[in-house]
Amino acid sequence: MAALETSAPAASGRTTGRIPIRRKTTVRQRLRHDWPLLLMTLPAMAQLAVFFYWPSAWNIIAFMDYKPTRPFWENPFVGFGWFERLFSNPYFLPALGNTLQFAFAQLLFVFPLSIVLALLMHSVISTKLRSTFQSIVYLPYFFSWVLVVTVFVQMLGSDGLVSNWLLGLGGDRLGFTSNPDTFMILAWMQWSWKDAGWGMIIFLAALSSINPNLYEAAAVDGASRWKRLWHITLPGIRPVIVLLLILQLGGILTVGFEQYQLQRDAVGFQTTEVLDTFVYYRSIVGTEGASFGTAAGLFKGVIGLVLVLVANNVAHRLGEQGIYQKS
Amino acid sequence: MTATDISARPRRRKNTRPVWDDEPTRFGKITKAAFLICYAAAVVIPLWAIVATSFASEDALNRAGGNLLLLPTELSVQAYQEIFSGGALTESLLLTLLLTAGGTALSMVLTIGAAYGLSRPGSLLHRPLLMLVLFTFLFAPGMYPQFLVVQKLGLFDNYMSLILPMALNAFNLIVLRAFFMNSVPTELIDAAKMDGATEFRILFRIVLPMSKAILAVIALFYAVMYWNIYFQAVLYIPGQDTQPIQVVLQRMLMSTQGLPGAAGEVSQYQTQAPDSALKMAVVVCTILPIVIMYPFIQRHFTKAVITGAVKG
Repeated sequence: MAALETSAPAASGRTTGRIPIRRKTTVRQRLRHDWPLLLMTLPAMAQLAVFFYWPSAWNIIAFMDYKPTRPFWENPFVGFGWFERLFSNPYFLPALGNTLQFAFAQLLFVFPLSIVLALLMHSVISTKLRSTFQSIVYLPYFFSWVLVVTVFVQMLGSDGLVSNWLLGLGGDRLGFTSNPDTFMILAWMQWSWKDAGWGMIIFLAALSSINPNLYEAAAVDGASRWKRLWHITLPGIRPVIVLLLILQLGGILTVGFEQYQLQRDAVGFQTTEVLDTFVYYRSIVGTEGASFGTAAGLFKGVIGLVLVLVANNVAHRLGEQGIYQKS
Repeated sequence: MTATDISARPRRRKNTRPVWDDEPTRFGKITKAAFLICYAAAVVIPLWAIVATSFASEDALNRAGGNLLLLPTELSVQAYQEIFSGGALTESLLLTLLLTAGGTALSMVLTIGAAYGLSRPGSLLHRPLLMLVLFTFLFAPGMYPQFLVVQKLGLFDNYMSLILPMALNAFNLIVLRAFFMNSVPTELIDAAKMDGATEFRILFRIVLPMSKAILAVIALFYAVMYWNIYFQAVLYIPGQDTQPIQVVLQRMLMSTQGLPGAAGEVSQYQTQAPDSALKMAVVVCTILPIVIMYPFIQRHFTKAVITGAVKG
């Protein structure tokens, strides 16, 4: 995890553990000294306890036949029964497939797009032009999915602006926003429109931390533009690429709920069903019940956890720092 | 890499190409420019069309025949009058503003408290508490258990369920903590302690005034999150009459797409103003706060990202 806190290597707990001053004080002395800090942390910890750890503990009902009507301890344990039911549900595997498909499409197409955008932006010489472009491309990141979908329907839908132009030119209406066959392209455009700017900003920050003298030295030695890109720029931003890849991999089954729920009626649920909408429509508003929905969510959470840990391990083996340091 | 040494470093490039760099080919230049311009146009044109349509009169809209137009021939503010006339739309906007203000305030209290409380390595329970925060990056409890907890707490169909469950963002916490640790000089804090200042005094008198920029960025991130709330409203407050503006917008969109889904509920927003102008005016109202805040976020954003994400 330390990638998020490596800023202070000297400050991480392990290192301070070696400073002998604190170790000899008793817990009571430390409490007297540190209670204001603990008090300040308390509200946030309470929030985490109630809205993160308590729900996490409720995942136990994925292994029980849970009925809200009876007291908790009277619900019998059923082992992995709900997971078996999950996999025999005709809608689950398609939802899982869609989720993976969307996730990999995001990894393969949106992720490189932000790198390309960042590289292009970085090579714009005029600072003014660069910051203008940057602001424009980054703006949609702050829009809600409702807004993004609205914009797409208004532009590319059958009554949208582009359809009108096509009609004016004697063409046909564009059914783009309600066509299940092209939903992947539509989703890709939406991701790019909304999120590529965010990735771009992060990569730009990484690019600006590369020492410009490296470029100069390479250029003087006769390295071409592409050689400099390959041997200086990409290695320079590699740690950031790896970090973001790992985090994305961990969230691979969390492709988002809103984008798919919002376009469910227009495009059809077969195409847009992902794990989150599956839980919502089958279990929360559907009839499958609490244990079933919890099992689906737990399946997702555990896969995410395993993927982060594995990806991080691989990153360590490849000599990268990853999201936390090797102990 | 801390925020300070980035900002302290002189700009990498002035507006001239460095001498060692050879001029790119004409083809390269044109491709690059075309790509960037297309990309920017894909953001700017829809936004422009939305603003233009929201000010268009009914005649102009009818003549254009579609939902959007680029150049309204006659202007009208009827749509905006409808929105702010005190009906369901006004209530929804007020509710969303209130949620945003209240939620952001609460989130800031939680985040600042924890970020400062955890910024002193070696303090009592520092490491386990930090682990509890960091674990939230690795695992998600799942939608159903969260829904269940909200129900058990009696928050179902209660507006508090749109604030409390997401009041703390671990990423913001870690970014702020890193800033407190790296950019607030320890000597200053030690000196204040020598003078007998309590931790609370140090936080309010020294640390917070030195962190205004990053606090602004984090507050704006929270504000945008609360302003954009949609999914939680669908999940937690389906029974409430007054819904956050994103839900209202979604219902209006559904109704014009001729889709089922909330068709009956839309009628309460039906008004005298032309349909698509009204809808686009609602869109403008949901974008406007973000666009107003945006320059502030932009100014300090790179710092925040660098302290947080790019810790490679």
